Amino acid sequence: MNQSNLLAQILEWMPFVLQGFVLNILMSVLAIAIGTTVGTFLGFGQISPNILIGAPAKLATQLFRNAPWLVLLFYCIFLMPYQVNIGGVMIQLPSWLRATIGFSFPVAANFSEIVRGSVNSVPRGQWEAAEALGYSRRATLFRIILPQCVTRMVPPWMNLYALLLTATPLSMIVGVEEALGRTQAAVQAQSDSRVLIPMYLALLAMFFLYTWPINRLSLMLERRFRTK
Amino acid sequence: MSLKALVLTAALAAIGFSASAQAQSCGDDTLCKVKAAGVLKIGTKDDYVPWSYRAPDGGFKGMEVDIGTKIAETLGVKAEFVKVTSANRFEFLAQGQIDLMIASASDTAERRKVVSFVHPNYYSSGYTLLLPKAVTATEWSQLSGQTVCAVQGAWYNKPAQEELGLKVQAFAGTAETEAAMTQGRCIALLEDDNQINVRLSNPKWADYHKPLPSQADTPWGMAVRQSDHAAPFGLAIAGMIAEMHRDGSLLEMEKAHGIANSAFLIKMHEALKDHIN
Amino acid sequence: MITNIQTFFQDLASSGINLTIFYDAFDFDRFITGLGNTLLLILVSAFLSIVIGAGCAAILTLSNGFAAAIVRGYIALFRNTPLIVQMYFFYFAIGSIMPVGRNELGLPQPLISSFSWAVLSLSLYSGAFNTETFRAGIGAVHNSYEEAALALGYGKRQAFFSVTAPLALRFSFASLANNLVDLTKATTVAYAVGVAELLYVSNQIWSDSLNTIEMMNVMLVIYLVLTGAVVFIINRVEAAMRLPGFGLGDGQ
Repeated sequence: MNQSNLLAQILEWMPFVLQGFVLNILMSVLAIAIGTTVGTFLGFGQISPNILIGAPAKLATQLFRNAPWLVLLFYCIFLMPYQVNIGGVMIQLPSWLRATIGFSFPVAANFSEIVRGSVNSVPRGQWEAAEALGYSRRATLFRIILPQCVTRMVPPWMNLYALLLTATPLSMIVGVEEALGRTQAAVQAQSDSRVLIPMYLALLAMFFLYTWPINRLSLMLERRFRTK
Repeated sequence: MSLKALVLTAALAAIGFSASAQAQSCGDDTLCKVKAAGVLKIGTKDDYVPWSYRAPDGGFKGMEVDIGTKIAETLGVKAEFVKVTSANRFEFLAQGQIDLMIASASDTAERRKVVSFVHPNYYSSGYTLLLPKAVTATEWSQLSGQTVCAVQGAWYNKPAQEELGLKVQAFAGTAETEAAMTQGRCIALLEDDNQINVRLSNPKWADYHKPLPSQADTPWGMAVRQSDHAAPFGLAIAGMIAEMHRDGSLLEMEKAHGIANSAFLIKMHEALKDHIN
Repeated sequence: MITNIQTFFQDLASSGINLTIFYDAFDFDRFITGLGNTLLLILVSAFLSIVIGAGCAAILTLSNGFAAAIVRGYIALFRNTPLIVQMYFFYFAIGSIMPVGRNELGLPQPLISSFSWAVLSLSLYSGAFNTETFRAGIGAVHNSYEEAALALGYGKRQAFFSVTAPLALRFSFASLANNLVDLTKATTVAYAVGVAELLYVSNQIWSDSLNTIEMMNVMLVIYLVLTGAVVFIINRVEAAMRLPGFGLGDGQ
């Protein structure tokens, strides 16, 4: 009797927690999109022979790779304004959006390293051959090197996405209403310590069920694209 | 790719392009802006039973939620509750993410440097320990050096350590502090005395008691931005709080949430009530 | 000298930059405690995670039975769930069902402290990533080395431990450095279970003194220094262990 009450109680709170999980997914998708875009440019910047571009790009990459994600989150939540006035229109930046931008920085830095690593893994000979054929550096990069890199970048990129998703619960510390924060609130409201284990198990299961297929897919793609 | 675009659009729509024209003609007047938007954004906690906590449908419940709803009704707008934590509540207010904060914040001089508290204060509490009956201490000095569990961000964590010599183990919320105490990581809970009273009225806590005298009874305050303190918005809130003390609404709300009527509310009601009726 | 520093920072506070940790003795004490705990967390967890990672990688390479299946399950679980949720689960959920001892007063006393739970959680989390790292390192060692060892009469296990493993270790350094940097940053999560590390004490300080921005800046600088130190140490170890004639494996 008691057990079924407990289960019913927990199930009552599941939609509340699942809505929070949707926010985790939304944040991760946006952050990976922004981070990949910015990271691509940063990555190109890093491999540029021009020191004016190379040095700041390298610095930015190292800075955002080594800063704790939580500290970057705090910066974005506290330093970014809540409302911005763009051309007379007031746009509101809710917490979750600022947190997403906060996550984009380390994602961009990590992706920039992925880009750099994959470009460097293409044998030197290709650059030399392209130069011999009269290709400019830019043409070589975009037409010859990059197409080969794309497949190499996909597995670490998916890894990065999984890492990002498992980092999104950190935003609960700055008040974003995502799955972990909602689980805590739900546990509080029920004032019953018996729900602790089941509710946290449910939370672990949510993340696992979403992330594990992504990791398997990434492994599969890595095996397919492996060049010996 | 198209899924990403879809999500991006959804996200942008969710951000909301608010009615800019009317709001901009209000300038800095918060009251005007709130009325123009038809919504009063109130910041509150979501883990402080029974002052402010969650319902399964995602809504907020509790004494502070009731107070906030009443204020919004009086202003003729809808109340929108925003969850705040001790780490971000003052920043949210300063940034404009919320216009009013009813989040069991104690009115201290340190905090008045950052926000303004509306007077009269709407509530008050001191802090004390919830101890197991096995511990028979009657003086604070007897517990010097012992470890107690508390919530992070509470203003009394520092004086408890500095002045009373306690070791404070702080967690993110009250559920965690309870769980920690049951595991024996601390011998007591360091909390508001009113909250301890609420706990003791629950048979779950029959083996606990509150033998030590309450310390530092400090009024709670609703916080507004400093610019709103003497502006129509702040003054309107002040008037509403005074009225709620006067007509006994606060006492009723307290009782309705299972909290024994506190000395502060009784005192304020006596002081402000009508001398004729 | 100390009072000079204190007065300097007190003056700075009046001009807007409030760094109480430098002029308030209580805040200074707890900040140093936090820093010390962070360092301890990093050192102990790093050591344990390397041990776990190496052990699990060895199991995965040498056997294919039950032990390997458990290791695979462990890695799948710990890499696909958030660290903060893992730590909550360990501390609050599992911690609540562990047996409790009794101290002199007859009050309950937990067997495993919050620090220990944090170390356990961090080590297992980082250990899962290290296992992948070491496995990749083992994979980078060309088959010919193992074949040569076998031809010389080494047993399979012997060949692994005497020939493959040392080479694999050298190939793993770059990725290991990455993992240890992640671990350094991840120690902030221990704040959620009440371990008095850097973020926890900074949170307490800024709750009291309302100097959030200053404390965040201080934390950023400290973590940059810590991660820089970790990378530096790994690089030195790698340089000291370098074998002549070995580059970065087959990729370059």
